[in-house]
Amino acid sequence: MTDQLGALTTIFTEFYYWITVVLMFLIHVGFCVYEVGASRYKHHQHTLMKNTMLIPLVTVTWFFFGWWLYWALPTGPGIAPSIMTESTGLVLGGGFGANELANPTNALMAVNLNDHIMGVFWAAFLLFAWTAASIVSGAVIERITTFAFGILAIAIGSVFWTIDASWGWHFDGWMLKMLGYHDAYASGVIHAVCGGFALGILAVLGPRIGKFSSSGEPRNIGPRNPWLVCVGLFLIYTGFWGFYAACNIPIFDLGPEYGMEGVTFFTATNIYVTPTTLSGITMNFLLSLAGGLLAGYWISKGDPFWTYSGGLAGIIAASAGNDLYHPMQSLIIAGVGTAIAYKLHYWVERKFKIDDAVGAVAVHGYAGVVGLIICGFVLWGYPSSGYGVGSMWVGTDYAPINPLGMFIGAIIMFGVLGFLPGWILAKILHAAGKLRIPRDVELAGLDYNIMEQARKDERAVASSNR
Amino acid sequence: MATVTNWIEHLTTDVDTATEGVQVAGSVYPHVGSELLFVLAGIVFWLVWTFYTAAGEEEEQGKLARKRHGSNDYKNNITEW
Repeated sequence: MTDQLGALTTIFTEFYYWITVVLMFLIHVGFCVYEVGASRYKHHQHTLMKNTMLIPLVTVTWFFFGWWLYWALPTGPGIAPSIMTESTGLVLGGGFGANELANPTNALMAVNLNDHIMGVFWAAFLLFAWTAASIVSGAVIERITTFAFGILAIAIGSVFWTIDASWGWHFDGWMLKMLGYHDAYASGVIHAVCGGFALGILAVLGPRIGKFSSSGEPRNIGPRNPWLVCVGLFLIYTGFWGFYAACNIPIFDLGPEYGMEGVTFFTATNIYVTPTTLSGITMNFLLSLAGGLLAGYWISKGDPFWTYSGGLAGIIAASAGNDLYHPMQSLIIAGVGTAIAYKLHYWVERKFKIDDAVGAVAVHGYAGVVGLIICGFVLWGYPSSGYGVGSMWVGTDYAPINPLGMFIGAIIMFGVLGFLPGWILAKILHAAGKLRIPRDVELAGLDYNIMEQARKDERAVASSNR
Repeated sequence: MATVTNWIEHLTTDVDTATEGVQVAGSVYPHVGSELLFVLAGIVFWLVWTFYTAAGEEEEQGKLARKRHGSNDYKNNITEW
């Protein structure tokens, strides 16, 4: 940094991401609060601990290999050549390669006065990874072992979501080139994949005791503390705002970046380095929140749990194209996505006896998939990258956004990298007898011993006179 | 219809950058020029929502009122586990 503009741009970008990380921390606070509010009293503390411990587990594995995977795999490998290395192999160099920027043994992965961005960018992506694991956490409460959840949290947080991000949420990703995939604020790369992963686990894990009657009719197990659910979801909304900010590059000169000689064009960009404005996406974020809340309230007949969840589902449904939509398009897409997610939740619950305790598969998975498919139609013909425009399936250039590519992208996110790994890992854990807590523990409550010990201590304290 | 089909063309079309600086078409959302229709669609959504939720609320409260519950009956429905 030798000139003032360069220094200002770098330090501003560093501080910008730093702020987004702090804001995104609220997503995790929200998930903790929300899950405790949704669980029954006898499971509160274990529910809280399960969600809390994913923080260190995903953090250390993200440092060891999660971040490296993101930078190493945009080519597949073997599917489409990198624009940096012109090879379809692992991207291990070329300026943005895994070796230089994300190898935990490299000197750049520490305090380095020549690099102000890598650490905060790493942290922003880590917070995305926590979110990924946290989405799964809510669906499986009250009956999964903490051990199994730890394994599954690492799998989704530090492996599978980062693979899909490398493929479809990276300026060099093969899904942009081959399919014309576009997912600016992660309808698919975080939400659909995590919803699919959660559904895969739930199919093996089974429902909570008492969730279904002997004839198979589902019973509602409502949140035990609606106020915590409310506060939790408001915190998630707030953190989601930080998430939106973190998905952008706040200031970038696209003239030289796109090879336009003599042109200077400073703008904010999305993760694909195509232009947008923070101003515009803020409008779209709020209109999609409104669309989701309106639709959630309407379709659930004023149920608070689904109204709040609807707000989240609305944002998720519109997120794929919220860098380019008109605010009214965001509103309508959010409303449609929320309504479909709600209907699918109850249909799947009844048809397949899936007990998704917090509606995570619906809010994140179904709304994310619907958002991707709608985006393919609404943004049909838009370029998926600023680095070039080509045709589908070729791979040497970037295919335009199109419905078929987005539909295939949705299948890859929800099915291939979500449902399938979740189901296989859950099967392995189940076969090892490590997936589900014993029936008697589930009946007594995971917190029984803690509560009994506390009761004894409280009685002893109450009867003490010295 | 896509408003943008190539970002480089969109950012440089018909511009003499030496004398005019960079001038770009400002709007990038799909179907530029249809703003009135977008807003009308939003208004329809809002009005339909208002009508249906108001009708649903009235129906639900009407059912409840007909059952004539006492002021303490709700206590039987509090979940304590």
